[in-house]
Amino acid sequence: MPTDPTLIRNFSIIAHIDHGKSTLADRVLQVTGALQKREMVEQFLDKMDIERERGITIKAQTVRLRYTAVDGQVYTLHLIDTPGHVDFNYEVSRSLSACEGAILVVDSTQGVEAQTLANVYLAIDQNLEIIPVLNKIDLPSSDIQMAKDQIEQVIGLDTEGAVACSGKTGVGVPEILEQIIKKVPHPKERNPGGPLRALIFDSWYDSYRGAVVMVRVIDGTLKKGQKVRFLATGRDYEITEMGVFTPHPVSLDEVGPGEVAFLAGNIRSVHDTKIGDTITDAKAAAAAASAGTKIEPLPGFKEVKPMVFAGIFPTDTAQYPDLREALEKLQMNDAAFVFEPDTSEALGFGFRCGFLGLLHMEIIQERLEREYNLDLITTAPSVVYKVHKTDGTIIDVENPSKLPSGQFIDHIEEPIFKVTIHVPKDHVGAVLALCEERRGVQKALTYASSERVIITYDLPLGEILFDFHDKLKSASRGYASMDYELAGYLESPLVKLDMLVNGDALDALSVIVHKDKSYPRGRDLAAKLKELLPRQQYEIAIQAAIGGKIISRETVRALRKDVTAKCYGGDISRKRKLLEKQKEGKKRMKQVGSVEIPQDAFMAILKID
Amino acid sequence: MQRNPNDSRGTLPHLTTRTVHVELRAHVPPPLHAYVHFPWCLEKCPYCDFVSFKTERAAIDHAGYADAVIREIHLRTAAGEPFGGHELTTVFLGGGTPSLWEPSAIARVLEALLAAFPHAASGVEITAECNPTSLDEARARDLVAAGVNRLSVGVQSLDAKQLKFLGRLHDIEGARTSLQAALRSGARVSADLIFGLPDQSPEEAARHAGELADEGLEHLSAYALTIEPGTRFGELSRRGKLPIAPEDATCDAFLAIEATLGARGLRHYEVSNYARPGCEARHNLGYWHGAAYVGLGCAAYGFGFDEGSPRRGVRYRDDPDPARYVEATRHSLAEVTVTREPLDAETLLRERIMLGLRLADGLDLGAQARELGLAREDVFTAERTREVEKLVREGTLEREGDVVRIPPARRLATDGVAARLF
Repeated sequence: MPTDPTLIRNFSIIAHIDHGKSTLADRVLQVTGALQKREMVEQFLDKMDIERERGITIKAQTVRLRYTAVDGQVYTLHLIDTPGHVDFNYEVSRSLSACEGAILVVDSTQGVEAQTLANVYLAIDQNLEIIPVLNKIDLPSSDIQMAKDQIEQVIGLDTEGAVACSGKTGVGVPEILEQIIKKVPHPKERNPGGPLRALIFDSWYDSYRGAVVMVRVIDGTLKKGQKVRFLATGRDYEITEMGVFTPHPVSLDEVGPGEVAFLAGNIRSVHDTKIGDTITDAKAAAAAASAGTKIEPLPGFKEVKPMVFAGIFPTDTAQYPDLREALEKLQMNDAAFVFEPDTSEALGFGFRCGFLGLLHMEIIQERLEREYNLDLITTAPSVVYKVHKTDGTIIDVENPSKLPSGQFIDHIEEPIFKVTIHVPKDHVGAVLALCEERRGVQKALTYASSERVIITYDLPLGEILFDFHDKLKSASRGYASMDYELAGYLESPLVKLDMLVNGDALDALSVIVHKDKSYPRGRDLAAKLKELLPRQQYEIAIQAAIGGKIISRETVRALRKDVTAKCYGGDISRKRKLLEKQKEGKKRMKQVGSVEIPQDAFMAILKID
Repeated sequence: MQRNPNDSRGTLPHLTTRTVHVELRAHVPPPLHAYVHFPWCLEKCPYCDFVSFKTERAAIDHAGYADAVIREIHLRTAAGEPFGGHELTTVFLGGGTPSLWEPSAIARVLEALLAAFPHAASGVEITAECNPTSLDEARARDLVAAGVNRLSVGVQSLDAKQLKFLGRLHDIEGARTSLQAALRSGARVSADLIFGLPDQSPEEAARHAGELADEGLEHLSAYALTIEPGTRFGELSRRGKLPIAPEDATCDAFLAIEATLGARGLRHYEVSNYARPGCEARHNLGYWHGAAYVGLGCAAYGFGFDEGSPRRGVRYRDDPDPARYVEATRHSLAEVTVTREPLDAETLLRERIMLGLRLADGLDLGAQARELGLAREDVFTAERTREVEKLVREGTLEREGDVVRIPPARRLATDGVAARLF
C-alpha cells in the first residue's frame, strides 16, 4: 500500500564540504532508530573510500526512515542525499527537486561558503522549505551568532528558530527532525489524477540487476511488474524489483505519490537512465502518442555533457586492456563519464576521457589507480572549443591535436564560466588580481558582511582548469571558496602551442592557449622540460612552437661522463642497484624520435604552473 | 722493473692468453680472492668514502686486530662458508692505510690465510695499499718480507696545490721517494692518481700520469674525482662550497691520460686502470670477472657462491665498527657479519655485465650462461639481444661472437650501456 502523502517528508541536507553533512546524516539515522549504534560504521552514507578520504559524497544514497514525532504520528522521512561538489551541480538540482525541504547545514566555526550558497540557491529555485542548522557547536571556536548573521546577510534567510546542533554529539538532532515534520510541506501531486510521472534523480549499476534508478513519484502510482517508459530515451522496461533503503533494502510492491524508491528492470547501463528523466506508464505513453498528444515530462531535464577532457594513458603499454576494462566498469556507474580510444605518439595507446569537471576527473583518475591498480599518465585537461571553420561548419574540439591547421579556422570560441568566489575582505585584492590575470571579466563585487566579499567573474573555463583553484587558495591563504557554472561561449584569439624535442612534437604536451599567453607559456614549458629531461648521449633541442614558428628554445647538453670511477668488491651491490633503478626508469620512458623521455617528465610537466 | 715471476702471460698477445686461460679454468678449481680491511689512517681524506678512522699509529692494537682477522679466517673456514673447493689466488690488504699495520702482524694474517685456504701453486698475488707517509725503504722491505709482493701507492697527484686540496699529508718529493722505495723492494708496484680536479687542465692530468709511469710503474690507477655523500667533499658540495671541475675537462683528462699512458705501453684495461700487458691487478680482475672473494676484517665485503645450479651467491659485510668487530670475532660468524645479501643467477649476471663492460676485453655472455648455470636464452633474452643490436648500431658496443665490449671511444658511457643490458 502506498504511504499516505500527508505523513511523508522529503528532504535533503545542503552543506559545504567538511561542514558535517555526513556525520549529521548518520546521526539522523541513529536517532530514528534506522541504525543501531553498533551497526554504525562512521558516515554510513558515504560508501566509497575516496569519498570518505576527501570528505565528499560522490554518489547519492537515499534512505527511508520511520519517525514517531512528538505529535504521536508515525512519519515516513526520505532523506535524499546529494552529491557534494560543484561538478555535480545538475545532479544536485535533480535531487533537490525530489524534495519539499532542505536542511541547510552551516559550520558554526566557519560560516557560509560559496558552495553552500550555490546549493542554497538551487534549493530556493525549487521552492524548498529551508531549515537552517548551525553545526559543530561542540567545538570551542563555534560562533553561533556569526553563523546566523551570515546566513541572514549572505543568503537572506530568517534564522529565527535555526537549530544549533552537533552531528558529533547528537545535540539538537531531535529538534531538527521535529522542524522537518512541522515546517517541510508534505508532498502533493502536481497533476492529481493525471498519468504516472516519476523523476529519476539517481542511478547506479548493480552487477546482478543492471542499472538501478532512484525515483521520486510525483503523480500516480508505480507497481511492481508494471511496464514503464523513460521519456528521454523512449525505452520501455518492466519493473522487476522495487523498494527502499532503510538503509537496509526492503522490497515494495506499490509506490505512491510523494514516495521515493529504487527500481530495477533489466536496464543495461546507467547511460540509459538519465538523471532528470521522467518515468511514466508505457501503455499510457503509447496511448497518448497514438492520440497525437504526449505525457508532459517533468521540468528541468538536461542532457549532461562532459566539459573537461583529458587523455589517460597507461605508463606500461601492457596495461592498455586493463585500463579499457576499468574504464568500462567505471562508466557503468557513471553516466557523466565518457571515453574513446586515443593514440599519442609520445604516450602510445590510451583513451580520451570526458568529465563533468576537474574534481570528477581527479576522482576517476584516483579510482583507476587505486581500485584497479593502474599506473597512469594524464595529459593536461582541455575544454571543448567551438571551432568555426572557414567553410562555415562548426566543430567541437577538445583535443589540441585535433585542432585543424590555421588556414581552415575562421575563429574559435571557448566556454566561459560564471565564477562566484567568497573571500574575506583582506584578500580581495589578490583574488581580483588573479581573476584579471586569468582573463576574467568582473560581473559583481558585493559585501556579504562587513568581513566577507562575494566576487563574481566571467572566466574562461580553460583558465579555471589551469591551476586556478590552487592559486585561489594561495591568494586567499585558503579562505576563498568558489562555485561555477557555464555562462556561454565567447570568441577568443586562441592558438595551439606545440613542444618539440629534436624537431619531433610531443603531442601529449600540445595545448590550446590564448595568444597573449602563448609566449610565456612556451618559455615556461621549455624551461621546465629542460630541467626534467635527463641528459642523454647527444644534445637535445627543446622548442616551443606556434604553427611553424619557434617561439622559444632550450638545449639539454649531451651527457659525456657516465661511468663510475671505482667499482671494487664493496661497491658492487650499491652500483648494481643504482643501474637496476636506472633500467627500471628506462622502462617507463617514452621514445619520441631519437629522444627518450621519462614518464616523470611528462607527469611533472603536466603539473606545470 | 721486476716482473712477477709467476706471471707467464706478460709477453703473449692478450686475446690468445685469454683463450688459454678459459680452457685451463675448466680443469682447475675456481679462483678465490681474499680482501683484508685495515680501518685506520693517520688522516681522513676529504674524498674518501671507505671505512677508516683517524688514529695515531701508536694507538692501534696491531696484534689484536691481526688476531681478530685470524679468528675470522677460522670462523669462516669452520662454518663451511661458500668458499669450499676454491683456490686462493690473490690477497689484497686495503683500507684505511694497511701500510700503517705492523709488518709482523701482516705476516701472521697472511700465514693464517695461506694455511686456511688451498692456494695456487703458481703463487699468490698479495697487494698492500700504501700511503707515501707510511712507506719508506725499510717499510717496503718489511712488507715484502711479510709476504707482500705488490704495493699500491696512493700518490694521487704530483702537484703541491692539488695534494693540499685532496687533504694528503705527503708532498711531491715524498710521493716520489716512496714510489722509488717501493720499486726497489722487489714488489710489483702500482700508483693511484686522481684527476678531474678543479683548475686542472687535461694536459696537466696527463703529464702527471706520464711522469708517474716514467718512474717505472707496471700499473697505474687513474680515478676521476668522485664526490661521495657522507664525505667532507660531499658535505661541502651539498652546501655548494666545493669547487668542481667542468665535466668536459674531466672527460678530456680521461682521454688525455689514456693517450699518454698508451704511448708508454700501459694498456687501458679497465675504466680506471692501466697496466703493461700481463701486469694487471689480478685481485681486481677477480672482482670484474665476478669471482668469489672472502672479505675479512672490519667493514670488509665478501662474496661467495652457494651450491647448485643455476648458481646463487651471497654478498656479506662485516661489522664496520672496529671494536665491535674485534669482539664479534670472539663469538660467532653471525655476530661478525652484519649484512647478507642473497644473489640469484640473474642478479649475478647483471653484476657481471656491469663489471665486465668496465674491461677493455669486455665479457663473454655465452660463458656467463655456462658459468652461472643459466639457459642461453636467459642471457640472450629478446630484450637484451635487441639492446645489444641497437648499441652495436650506435657504435657504443662491439660484439664478436658472444663477447661484448665497449670500444675505447665510448668508455665514458659505460654505466648507461650496462643499465641498458640489465
